Amino acid sequence: MTQKELHIQRLVKEAEEQVLQMNTRRHFLKECAFGFGSLALGSLLQSCGVGSSSNLITHNLFDPAHPLAPKLPHFAAKAKRIIYLHMAGAPSQLELFDYKPELLKLNGQDCPQSLLEGKRFAFIRGVPKMLGPQAKFSQHGQSGAWVSEHLPHLSSIVDEISFLKAVTTDQFNHAPAQLLMHSGSARLGRPSMGSWVTYGLGTENQNLPGFVVLTSGGKFPDAGKSVWGSGFLPSVYQGVQCRSEGDPVLFIKDPSGMDRDLRKASIDAINKVNEEEYKEYNDPETLSRISQYEMAYKMQVSAPEVMDISNEPDYIKEMYGVQPGKACFANNVLLARKLVEKGVRFVQLFDWGWDSHGTDPSLAIDLGLINKCRQTDKAVTALIFDLKQRGLLEETLVIWGGEFGRTPMMENREGKQNPYKGRDHHVDAFTIWMAGGGISKGVTYGETDEIGYYAIDGKVTPYDVQATILNQLGFDHEKFTYQFQGRPFRLTDVSGRVIEEIVG
Amino acid sequence: MLISITEFIGHFHPVLVHLPIGILLIALLFQWLSHREKYVIPHNVLKLLWVIGIASALLSCITGYLLSLTGEYDESTLSLHMWMGIGVAAVSLFAGSKVFRFKYDKTYKVICVLLLLLVIVTGHFGGSLTHGNDYLTVALFTNEKEKSTAIIKPINNVQEAKVYGDLVQPLLESKCYSCHGAKKQKGKLRLDSPGFILRGGEDKNIITPGNALQSTLVKRLLLPEDDKKHMPPRQKSQLKEKQIALVQWWIQEGASFDKKVKETDQPEKMKRVLASLQTGAQKQSYIHNVPQVDVEAADEKAIGLLRNKGVIVLPVSQKSNYLMADFVSANLFTDKDMLLLLPLKKQLVWLKLSDTKIGDEGLAVINQFPNISLLQLDHTSITDKALTVLRSLPSLQSLNLVGTAVTASGVFGLKDLHHLQSVYLYQTNINTVQVQQLKKVFSKVNLELGGYSVPTFDTDTTMLKPQVKKTS
Repeated sequence: MTQKELHIQRLVKEAEEQVLQMNTRRHFLKECAFGFGSLALGSLLQSCGVGSSSNLITHNLFDPAHPLAPKLPHFAAKAKRIIYLHMAGAPSQLELFDYKPELLKLNGQDCPQSLLEGKRFAFIRGVPKMLGPQAKFSQHGQSGAWVSEHLPHLSSIVDEISFLKAVTTDQFNHAPAQLLMHSGSARLGRPSMGSWVTYGLGTENQNLPGFVVLTSGGKFPDAGKSVWGSGFLPSVYQGVQCRSEGDPVLFIKDPSGMDRDLRKASIDAINKVNEEEYKEYNDPETLSRISQYEMAYKMQVSAPEVMDISNEPDYIKEMYGVQPGKACFANNVLLARKLVEKGVRFVQLFDWGWDSHGTDPSLAIDLGLINKCRQTDKAVTALIFDLKQRGLLEETLVIWGGEFGRTPMMENREGKQNPYKGRDHHVDAFTIWMAGGGISKGVTYGETDEIGYYAIDGKVTPYDVQATILNQLGFDHEKFTYQFQGRPFRLTDVSGRVIEEIVG
Repeated sequence: MLISITEFIGHFHPVLVHLPIGILLIALLFQWLSHREKYVIPHNVLKLLWVIGIASALLSCITGYLLSLTGEYDESTLSLHMWMGIGVAAVSLFAGSKVFRFKYDKTYKVICVLLLLLVIVTGHFGGSLTHGNDYLTVALFTNEKEKSTAIIKPINNVQEAKVYGDLVQPLLESKCYSCHGAKKQKGKLRLDSPGFILRGGEDKNIITPGNALQSTLVKRLLLPEDDKKHMPPRQKSQLKEKQIALVQWWIQEGASFDKKVKETDQPEKMKRVLASLQTGAQKQSYIHNVPQVDVEAADEKAIGLLRNKGVIVLPVSQKSNYLMADFVSANLFTDKDMLLLLPLKKQLVWLKLSDTKIGDEGLAVINQFPNISLLQLDHTSITDKALTVLRSLPSLQSLNLVGTAVTASGVFGLKDLHHLQSVYLYQTNINTVQVQQLKKVFSKVNLELGGYSVPTFDTDTTMLKPQVKKTS
């Protein structure tokens, strides 16, 4: 036997083993349940109207052949699309929206023991000093909402916005808190909100993904890509991360020497092999892969056009303050508008750099935070105006927020004073705002105590925010489930209340 | 202590009453069945049934009387129930004595029928006392009023409204009267008139004018929902935060029964709550609700034809037959294809034709769609000609004309569409002067001309730099 023959023999054997590996005990049991068992049970269940084995799959709203086909919600939606602006690192509510003049009086004093007892902080140790608001505040608009001088543009549109000022969480580290905010669980493995939404509603524009993720600020969110992952949902629902400079998706152009027909032919061939694979093993992930190839092929035409912000008129670029050719938040915001205009269901933005600990200038509450505001304020304001004038705001829900808040105390990392003014992570109170998509205008809901430490009125949790978002999209968050490992799962797990107070 | 013992014994009444009802009915049943030979039971057993029945009836009377002393019940129903209960005991005693003497005469039969009726009616009144008068029939006649979410009706001018009469009293009526009103007085408390509120219940002063947080009424509302003393009880419909705030503010402001809103101090928070009660405050712009009455399902074949063309056609929700149609992926759809929509003319409510090749010619058929409420025609080639067709869309609420060639005179023609809420006119041939004129005619419509700009401040482009620390 020659070397080559031996090699081929080895490969064949390996392939055979791989096939056998697919047929695990699990498959055997499953086959039995659907095969022999269903002969008896199936007829019984059918008489009860429970349905056959095919129904057991569609029970999950998931049609493997058309995973992204548009679907309908439980009740008529008030919002069709979402733009979620996540300020990763957690912006300080005490410098932006939650005005606490009493805290100024306590500036520099030792933090009372009563606030520290039984508490755990990410970095504060011992007795920290109180830190008064590092910004001037004033009331704006007819609603009289308090906004600080750091956000001069946003203060002109407060009457379009509703504030949640007493959001709480139970995670004081970035990654778990971000996961909780977006997947309803502080641990890995749950689908993100965008995945749930594309699973429930499909995608409107068949040439674009239903769930697009755009990041800026030079770093990914701490929770990594899991924060837009699909968890136990079929992976076709995971967020598609796009870039705001250069090619929107890496390797989207055909390589030189390959024309579009050849690309089509090769994708068709791959899909054919995958279809054979699916016929043999019935793994829905194979279908996900097929539809992803098809989506990629379609995106080759549609994505470069939609995702190119340079073809926008100059006055729009000026309005958002975009910086062509650079990767920045303003570019992503403009891109988000273009995407929702083209029917993308869920656009998730992450902007890193809001983690104002005071360990270095870029993370100082009186420097880095102000710079972050300057980089984002104009674009966010432009987004609201632009959606409004295009008639998109009435069906697009915009959410702005971080993963937790910041302490009224100055951070003293490991008991020592930080070189710059900063605040530690705080779980008991922070601010999130929402606009459009059927949310009331100019409402402020929730209140914190005199120093912004605890929520004293209108307290809401990440689950409540999620329930509200799903509600606007037409879902009853308690009935929107996915059957997995023997039980139905939902985004809001076992809690969540629609915040009626801000729903118009 | 003595009072609490009698009350303790009284609380056995709701349990004990079931004994005479059951046993006496059984005794009557066997009495009646004993005509037939196979159901005849020994006379001794029958006597025993009567004895237990009578004894439990007497016990029920005693415990019932003790319970009535707590005074938590509607008095007229209570006295009816009490006298009929005593009647049951008396009549059953009389019937029992006849059984013992073996005197099954005509009077006995009459008495038995009377007893049967008495037991049923007394039981019914007893049920009404504990569960309320409407308990039995409530499932048959659902009260439409309870379904509406707004308890306080929108008020034309909140400042002129009466704090108690217009704001607080409707809340108490919907959330408290059912247990603290004419029909029931749980905790001896009635809240259905100023006099009763001031008198209080078992807790003497339930309100402390000028000090809301010291008032039992407010404390009970603010307690956590799982607290035993929280009001309304957990399973009942709760007050919203805004509503609690109103009650709290009313007491803080002296709990006056005739002050007007404008005569009070209004903290920042209350100003917002009050503003939300103003007529029109509830009006929001969002995708519009579908008609109340559902239609028959649309023809599946017609929907299939449209889907083949890349059009998304879906019901607006799982419970509705009304449809939305979205053309975002239907690049090849032309004016002629619009005819494909005609079979859906009754069902179509949301139509998104944004950025398609549809023009005036295609829209000529749109007047046959009476239920369209949301119509998005932005970035199409339509002109004023299409707008003349839109005049016959009575349900139209939101119209998007962004980036089209329509003019002010075309929009003017839509003035008779009474349900119209928003018209988007950004990037059209309409200028600011014309919009001002249009706004006079469309006084209730949000005419969105757009053209916003966000000024660029120096601070938007300059970043703060850290000061170099002087080293000494």
